[in-house]
Amino acid sequence: MTIAATIPAPLVATQGADGRNPGKRSVEPILKTENLWKLYHAGKVEVPALRGVNFEVQPGESVAVMGPSGCGKSSLLYVIGGLAKASRGKVLVDGNDLTELSDAARTKLRRSKIGFVFQRFNLLPTLTAKGNIAIAQYIHGDGFDPHRFDVVTKMLGLDGRLSHKPSEMSGGEQQRVAIARAIINEPKILLADEPTGNLDTRNSEIVLQMLRQLNKDLGQTVVMITHNPEAVTYFDRVVHMRDGVIVDGVPAD
Amino acid sequence: MMGELIVRNLFHRPVRTFIGILAIAVEVSLVVLVVGLVTGLLAETAKRIEGVGADIVVQPPAASILLGFSGAPMPIKIADKLKELKYVQDVAPTLLQSNSAGGVEVIYGIDPESFRAVSGGFVFLAGHDFERPNDILVDDWAARAKKLKVGDTYNLFNNDWHVAGIVEHGKGARVFVPITTLQDLIGAKDKASIFWIKCTRPEHTEDLMADIGRELPGYTVRPIKEMLSIYTSTNIPGLQIFIDAMIALAVSIGLLVIFLTMYTTVIERTRDIGVLKSLGANAPFIVRTLLMESALLCLGGIAAGVGLSYVARSVFLQIFPTLSIRITTEWIVRAGVIALVGTVIGASYPAWVASKKDAVEALTFD
Repeated sequence: MTIAATIPAPLVATQGADGRNPGKRSVEPILKTENLWKLYHAGKVEVPALRGVNFEVQPGESVAVMGPSGCGKSSLLYVIGGLAKASRGKVLVDGNDLTELSDAARTKLRRSKIGFVFQRFNLLPTLTAKGNIAIAQYIHGDGFDPHRFDVVTKMLGLDGRLSHKPSEMSGGEQQRVAIARAIINEPKILLADEPTGNLDTRNSEIVLQMLRQLNKDLGQTVVMITHNPEAVTYFDRVVHMRDGVIVDGVPAD
Repeated sequence: MMGELIVRNLFHRPVRTFIGILAIAVEVSLVVLVVGLVTGLLAETAKRIEGVGADIVVQPPAASILLGFSGAPMPIKIADKLKELKYVQDVAPTLLQSNSAGGVEVIYGIDPESFRAVSGGFVFLAGHDFERPNDILVDDWAARAKKLKVGDTYNLFNNDWHVAGIVEHGKGARVFVPITTLQDLIGAKDKASIFWIKCTRPEHTEDLMADIGRELPGYTVRPIKEMLSIYTSTNIPGLQIFIDAMIALAVSIGLLVIFLTMYTTVIERTRDIGVLKSLGANAPFIVRTLLMESALLCLGGIAAGVGLSYVARSVFLQIFPTLSIRITTEWIVRAGVIALVGTVIGASYPAWVASKKDAVEALTFD
């Protein structure tokens, strides 16, 4: 029996081609995009990565975004995470419209409300696992919180590996450190960009299970981009994208 | 945490860090040694002039402040006139001649008796005073530099001299010959370059200077204190410009190396910068991290530069024993501040570039 088969089906089944999930109780979405456009410029040519995307995520929900390469998944993630600026439309994160904010304000919001996990782990190579997690707390401005640090590292099974540098750890361990770094400051939203893309099957399952655990046990809102069809079974809802638009958003079952 | 990040970043590329520290060390030691050499030479020269023991010096009209570069235009008989003046205890006529073979030095042609009267006499470390016309006295520093001992023959001004004695340094020149022999050699018979005058009492100096001025109108008459004060870099034309130019050169070296070091660092760590931005690090954080890393590198370079300065000074003094290099705390601090300012300037542009990097592009950089 696979790990996916043990995961119960979500309580509400809905359909919607616009990424919304109207079946859930009416709560203000923690994340919402309205007619979101993202244009890149290749010389004189404008390339639309996102074309009028309407997307919502409720607090405590876990959403997987799937689609072929170049469909705009990563662009969506970076825009809602405040790393890139929308060309048109609105992006509301916990009630804050990112499109109205300056770079400095978006950075501040990202610092307090958003955690990122990347496909390539993106750990700082000169710091140990402990340092990579602690620096997120330092940047957040609250200083090192040993209690929170212990809780997170124990939950992610990082005991005994904290003094090791990324080059001394396996891919799975590095990704768990990255997840610890992303959640150490209790962000409102955890954004994961193909977190299992560089992992083998076993480590992929471990990481996905951890994301699921964070969502179910701690109520962490998770939005994950993935190519992996099996990965979506760990999430409440899957959203499909193609050519910069959301084509459907269905519960994962 | 910031400290840990910075230190680990520096140790992550030890060769690059070492080169950065070395560049700053060279910069600091260049400043300290150039200034030390200039001030040391000037101070040591002034000390030797003071060591002659005179209260007043008389030179020809429009004489150079640099002794030894004005020739010998004064009749030696002026000494007799000066001895008749009230408040004059002793007068020592001296013929100064520059020798550029193997470096630049000033040779004193002296009348042993009058020079002894003004200066209090030499302290002989070996040998004895002049006994023959071709006898030469050398101070201990010059003897070590030229590897001379009593009894050796030393060729100077195309003449073979006999080393009669090694004297303690500090009385005007490093090499002394009888004035009459030197006059014959350079064709300056009965001439002198300078008259050293000892007053009966120091408080008579002003009055005596006035008397000399009346007796020898147009001649340059200076109290020894004024003479000594001339031997500073600010008073010697062009010397301060030379020092400033050397400092500017040193700063340029450090600034450029730090610029290059931090620029390559920023490029190499583009993805790391993207990671920091994804964690919510703002532009000032990125700039601060890089500037602090540069500053720490600079502090290491300053420490190494101070050490290098002392080592270099030891080496120079072994090779050139007559050199005087003054390393002062004041100039160590100044060199350090100059290096730090240059480092901050050199690192500023790379730090600014880093802070402006697009986070998404940085995260996907290979």
